[in-house]
Amino acid sequence: MATLVNPNLIDQVKQSDAFNAAACMNCGICTAVCPMGIEHLPRELFRYVLLGLEEDLLAHRDAVYSCLLCRLCEVNCPAEVHIAGNVRTLRHYLNQAVFHVKRMPRARKATTG
Amino acid sequence: MSQRRIGVYVCQCGGNISDYVDVERVASQAADNADVVIARTAMFTCSDATQADIAEDIRQHQLDGLVVASCSPKLHTLTFRGVAERAGLNPYQYTQVNLREQCSWAHTDDRKGATDKAVTLVEAGIGRTRLTEPLNPLVVDTMPKALVIGAGITGMRAAVGLADLGMEVYLVEKQATVGGWLKSMDTMYPAGKTPKEIIDQLDEQIHQRSNVTVFTEAEVVQKGGTFGNYVVKVALHRPTEQTISLNVGSIIVATGFDVYQPEIGQYGYGIDGVLTLPEFQDFLKTNPGPMVYHGRPVRTVSYIYCVGSREGREQPNAHTYCSRYCCTSTVHTALEVFKHDPGVHQYHLYRDVRTYGKYELLYSESREKGSLYLKFAADQPPAVERTGDQLKVTVNDLLTSRKELAIPSDLVVLVTGIIPRENDALVHALKLPVGKDGFYNEIHPKLRPVETVVDGVYIAGACQNPKTAGESAASALAAVTQSASILKKGKVQLDPQVAFIDASECTGCGACLKVCPYEAISAQSGDNGQSAYVVSEAICKGCGGCVPECPVEAIRVQGYTNAEIRAMIDGLLMEEVEQI
Ligand SMILES: Cc1cc2nc3c(=O)[nH]c(=O)nc-3n(C[C@H](O)[C@H](O)[C@H](O)COP(=O)(O)OP(=O)(O)OC[C@H]3O[C@@H](n4cnc5c(N)ncnc54)[C@H](O)[C@@H]3O)c2cc1C
Ligand code: SF4
Ligand code: SF4
Ligand code: SF4
Ligand code: SF4
Ligand code: SF4
Repeated sequence: MATLVNPNLIDQVKQSDAFNAAACMNCGICTAVCPMGIEHLPRELFRYVLLGLEEDLLAHRDAVYSCLLCRLCEVNCPAEVHIAGNVRTLRHYLNQAVFHVKRMPRARKATTG
Repeated sequence: MSQRRIGVYVCQCGGNISDYVDVERVASQAADNADVVIARTAMFTCSDATQADIAEDIRQHQLDGLVVASCSPKLHTLTFRGVAERAGLNPYQYTQVNLREQCSWAHTDDRKGATDKAVTLVEAGIGRTRLTEPLNPLVVDTMPKALVIGAGITGMRAAVGLADLGMEVYLVEKQATVGGWLKSMDTMYPAGKTPKEIIDQLDEQIHQRSNVTVFTEAEVVQKGGTFGNYVVKVALHRPTEQTISLNVGSIIVATGFDVYQPEIGQYGYGIDGVLTLPEFQDFLKTNPGPMVYHGRPVRTVSYIYCVGSREGREQPNAHTYCSRYCCTSTVHTALEVFKHDPGVHQYHLYRDVRTYGKYELLYSESREKGSLYLKFAADQPPAVERTGDQLKVTVNDLLTSRKELAIPSDLVVLVTGIIPRENDALVHALKLPVGKDGFYNEIHPKLRPVETVVDGVYIAGACQNPKTAGESAASALAAVTQSASILKKGKVQLDPQVAFIDASECTGCGACLKVCPYEAISAQSGDNGQSAYVVSEAICKGCGGCVPECPVEAIRVQGYTNAEIRAMIDGLLMEEVEQI
């Protein structure tokens, strides 16, 4: 059974913050340099969002949270995708939409992410 | 033995020949011929130094025949003709022998066999050279007028270019209006002038030039005369049907292309909402602002690339080539769609994105604006079906682990390619060389890209192969330059290696006339009422097709007479090849 593409997810994600993964050309550099070595980080995840494959995104949410935000991928990305920023945006989206996390108190912000 | 004085040069080709052929033996056996006064080997015969040595030998030994045994005649015939000419030897008294492609490279495992063969090849060359006679290029006067067929951007640009070089130009267009495909387009890449502005500008430039005459609703029906002096018959359909005759020195063919039309059912074509790229562009033209198609708002557009292009060879009449314009045109169109409505979701189902050169920037821009690209494999094309109110496009996306995805779409756009235009009557009238793919063929894709095998007939624009508008205009100007370089001189030199009929031997049977593909032979009634046949030297291509037809050997190609060919065969069959 084909997975249904859903244009609304990206619209929702975009609303939450700047999500610029559409410029990604799927070269795979980010996956190659990632010290966490997780296969879905980050380009596959981005495609799930762009294509609106919410179930696939949820199935791989561990990957979203295992990112170190080290930005090794980002400095190497030829398409200037704000990868770490996008991961944050995804976390924000999952926090709100899936885990129903309330906005973090300001004082604790420094220790998160 | 003749009293000729022949020089033979055997090339080592830096080892390409001498690694597999004993070139010293080849030279020494050539020297056994009494009329070979000098036989030498050289590391690179084509080098400037050896060319100078050969020229010096020709002068010093008063050679009247030259044999160069090196590589393919396609490579260096003109080089060594030049050497002969510079040293005062008639260039048609030199023979090129191919020891590389046809000997050393073919027999790398048999030095003795290859050397024996090389000896006979050179012997054949000497045999022919012995019988050569000096030939002089034909010089024909040319008419400073040109005919351009087809008034798309290519033909129009060519007409203006020729006019500015002082040429008289006739521009013949089949349709009622000029402009070709561009005249009906609303926008085009790269940014700048609209297609309409471009065509209007060219049209105005043509009208400003008194030396351009435009015929619309007109077609070329016949070409006669010879290179430099063609007589072309043009049928005018307006205001009244009539046929006129034009005298021109050269002809530029700029008849353009057609767009691939999908079969009903192919990628869902025929279903409401499935459009070709030109149909979609037309729809956008008449739909300013947010798109509404048949009463329904359009929120999602899916494009399927390479429809009717890059087809597998196993398909009958496959269009195996890339149509070149369409990736960029689709990306450009997607950017136009964002101008209508930035919120539209656009999915591009492609095989490879070929937005070459600067058009890469358009591709990047379209991704940044939100166009999403999905890659499908050639053997797993997407499928299109209607489900209720929407269309559904199913595709295995190679970029998402080959996941099978279903994209709900309001419109599906088939990115259709460029195909050759049917123009049988014109092809027949001009004897245009048509390639396997149906486009017209140039002589050499790199070095002679606008010339055809028909002297004075040039091709330009998309009738040759898929081109963008800018590339079409560039090739138009290349054809202008080639045309003008001949017509401006007022005369042109033609190869003298053409057919000749010995009137005293010809019985007038007409067998040769029937086979000549260029209609170079004609009957002329002689004094005694009997027809005698003659070859027009300016039309004949020296193909030799007529020669074996003649029952009495009255017709021969200069430089390749029957006697010369027989001498070559004798050389190849020489006995005692081996030297003990
Ligand atoms: C949908 C689409 C979008 C495109 N978008 C772009 C774009 O954005 N940018 C770009 O650079 N290129 C674009 N192109 C390519 C562009 O259209 C071509 O490069 C250009 O039209 C080629 O011009 P041409 O004069 O060679 O051929 P044509 O435009 O086909 O003109 C040929 C002319 O010859 C006439 N003709 C044909 N046969 C005869 C005959 N026997 N006697 C007399 N006249 C004859 C025809 O009637 C026509 O007027 C696009 C093409 C398509 C199909
Ligand atoms: S490095 Fe950048 S362009 Fe390449 S796959 Fe990763 S995000 Fe995409
Ligand atoms: S920022 Fe995250 S995805 Fe990028 S390299 Fe570091 S850990 Fe990997
Ligand atoms: S330009 Fe692009 S769409 Fe057109 S045939 Fe080539 S690859 Fe396919
Ligand atoms: S050599 Fe070829 S072109 Fe010339 S007359 Fe004979 S058949 Fe015709
Ligand atoms: S085939 Fe020979 S004999 Fe017959 S017309 Fe031609 S040249 Fe003359």
